[in-house]
Amino acid sequence: MSEDVEMKDQATPSHSLSSVPPSALQHLKEIASIIETGSYSKEVRRIARALRLTFALRRKLTAPVLSSFLDYVLPPASEPHTRLSSFLPNPKEGDREMEVDSSTSTIQTPAAKHLLPELEIYCYLLVLLFLIDQKRYDTAKACSSASIVRLKSLNRRTVNVIASRLYFYYSYSYELTGNLAEIRGNLLALHRIATLRHDELGQETLLNLLLHNYLHYNLYDQAEKLRSKAPRFEAHSNQQFCRYLFYLGKIRTIQLEYTDAKDLLLQAARKAPSAAQGFQIQCNKWAVIVRLLLGEIPERIIFMHRGMEKSLRPYFELTNAVRIGDLELFRNATEKFGTTFSRDRTHNLIVRLRHNVIRTGLRNISISYSRISLADVAKKLRLNSASPVADSESIVAKAIRDGAIDASLDHANGWMVSKGTGDIYSTNEPQLALNSRIAFCLNMYNEAVRALRFPPNKDKEKENAEKRRERHQQEQELAKHIAEEDDDDF
Amino acid sequence: MDPKLKEVSQLFDRFKASFIRNDFDTCSNLLSQLKVLLTGFRSLPPLFADTPNAVHELTIASNILPPIRDIYEHAVVLSVKNEDQDAFERDFFQLKPYYTDACNRLPPSPQEYPILGLNLLRLLVQNRIAEFHTELELLSSAALENPCIKHAVELEQSFMEGAYNRVLSARQTVPHDTYVYFMDLLAKTVRDEIAGCSEKAYDYLSIKDAKQMLLFSSDQELLEYIKEEHPEWEIKNGSVFFQKAKESAPCKEIPSLQLINQTLSYARELERIV
Repeated sequence: MSEDVEMKDQATPSHSLSSVPPSALQHLKEIASIIETGSYSKEVRRIARALRLTFALRRKLTAPVLSSFLDYVLPPASEPHTRLSSFLPNPKEGDREMEVDSSTSTIQTPAAKHLLPELEIYCYLLVLLFLIDQKRYDTAKACSSASIVRLKSLNRRTVNVIASRLYFYYSYSYELTGNLAEIRGNLLALHRIATLRHDELGQETLLNLLLHNYLHYNLYDQAEKLRSKAPRFEAHSNQQFCRYLFYLGKIRTIQLEYTDAKDLLLQAARKAPSAAQGFQIQCNKWAVIVRLLLGEIPERIIFMHRGMEKSLRPYFELTNAVRIGDLELFRNATEKFGTTFSRDRTHNLIVRLRHNVIRTGLRNISISYSRISLADVAKKLRLNSASPVADSESIVAKAIRDGAIDASLDHANGWMVSKGTGDIYSTNEPQLALNSRIAFCLNMYNEAVRALRFPPNKDKEKENAEKRRERHQQEQELAKHIAEEDDDDF
Repeated sequence: MDPKLKEVSQLFDRFKASFIRNDFDTCSNLLSQLKVLLTGFRSLPPLFADTPNAVHELTIASNILPPIRDIYEHAVVLSVKNEDQDAFERDFFQLKPYYTDACNRLPPSPQEYPILGLNLLRLLVQNRIAEFHTELELLSSAALENPCIKHAVELEQSFMEGAYNRVLSARQTVPHDTYVYFMDLLAKTVRDEIAGCSEKAYDYLSIKDAKQMLLFSSDQELLEYIKEEHPEWEIKNGSVFFQKAKESAPCKEIPSLQLINQTLSYARELERIV
């Protein structure tokens, strides 16, 4: 084994001479040329591709690389160059020389005689990504603010794609420094601008950022008012749509509209990219609580997904307590994981669950006993109150009225008499279940059809073999990148 | 001192004097004048406008903002005394920015939690449960431990569970005297809830038990309530029979129209797919 390793080590230099991997700077220059081409041909698709390539390169960004790239793209004495350079830490001279040396093969002239707005905004994005990754949050905040000021004066379709990413990191940098409320007015202004300019991707991103901003401070009422009045259109980005579904699910949960909330949260979890595990965990946490509030018991498999078991453990124990209908167990779970629930901001929802625990307990009792004294009901439910029998009587009466259990009360003797379990097939339940499942399948089919993308037919016959080959190559590349779409957003 | 501020201060002193005397008509008139005057101070919440007087109005916030917040707090209490729920809502929303947006410029108000709890109680009485929970989300964990807030939260919990006697006994343990008005309103709601649950859960109840359950002090009151609210209940042999009410409930019909619509929609969708 050790010999093999040594042989490999010896073999490496001979290979490295023939195939030097292109440096990060080289990659950035290629991306710049893609952006340039996209800008001139007004192809938004190319800009989007450039951004995907950038996120793949994100970990390789260093101060010297960025500094060299800024020198390459921006005119040296220009205002953008000066401003962006000021955000970067001073690179060590040696590092910088090495970086420049490694790319001597490329032409050192700037990408264009006059600076393209797309490239300028792209530089802002690069610097911002670098600063956030380096945990220089205050500098990132200043950089993002400067980029937004510059963005407001631009109105180009090709800038919109980069702008939507910048909006996200603008909000993120303020969130990291704990000043999210400061930018609310600015985000609203940007949303208004995006709406007036028919920048739908920008609108989508900004609406989500505003919803996030409101929900960060638990301003559910304002969030719902904004959401209900914001213009609606087809989703452009899967990530943004997932986020929107999640935020809307949270709003609906707080507003006690549990059925809608459940659908929205489960849809968000399903649509989220598999790499966005943190997001899926959040969706599942809320979905579990909503299902419990609806009186459903989530399947055990939900808590057993790889990488989610630890995060969902408190919710699993909570589900167990609700399933059994044991108030004591429920109380223990809420005390044991109280800090987790507070951190997840689900504590108030869990307080609401107490009612469901009692209902489940009552249902279990009514199935098990044909007749049981109210004192025993109170004991089994573990009602800790001054007058448990009186409490259990009124609780049972309400459960009967709401249709949770099929029983009657005998006040004189102080007991609950359960009625025989009816045949569910003589009710409308099976039809309702069938209908909801069919509706779900049809909805999924319709969404799939709507999501299909068809290539434009115009000028197809004029296409020669070479162009066709080039187009196929581009399409394959695009498909490959879409598969690994920028999951780091989540 | 700004003459406008001086005028506000004098009016507020008169308002407080009337308030102590329980002269609520005078209070209402003075309050209207005060509110009109306060619209002149644009640097106050919710505008926080940067006016030339802003420094005078806000930097010495400890002298000026608390009295203005105090005006709105008195207005909220006055609306409860006048039993005017619409006025309560308006005044509460005018006061709220002083608790949220101006909290960093002001010392905490001793009336904050009692008033926030009072608002939660109002939402509960008006059966605006979704708004109740939305308001609850805005409160910190420390606020949720406050007796005034806790009282409202526990009431809602008991009400939703059906532990109505706990709701009623809470009237004796109100954390603030202003809560009594809403607690009395809640008692009426609870009575209707108990009546609704009773007719579904019991076949019959003795008049004595029914009277006790529905919180009436005399048989006459109970009989009047039944006559007005539940004429379908039957009284015979010293008992209230709910059987008649149960029988009058229509038996479940087959939702034929709904089934036809669903089946047709399945056919239409299938045709579209195939």
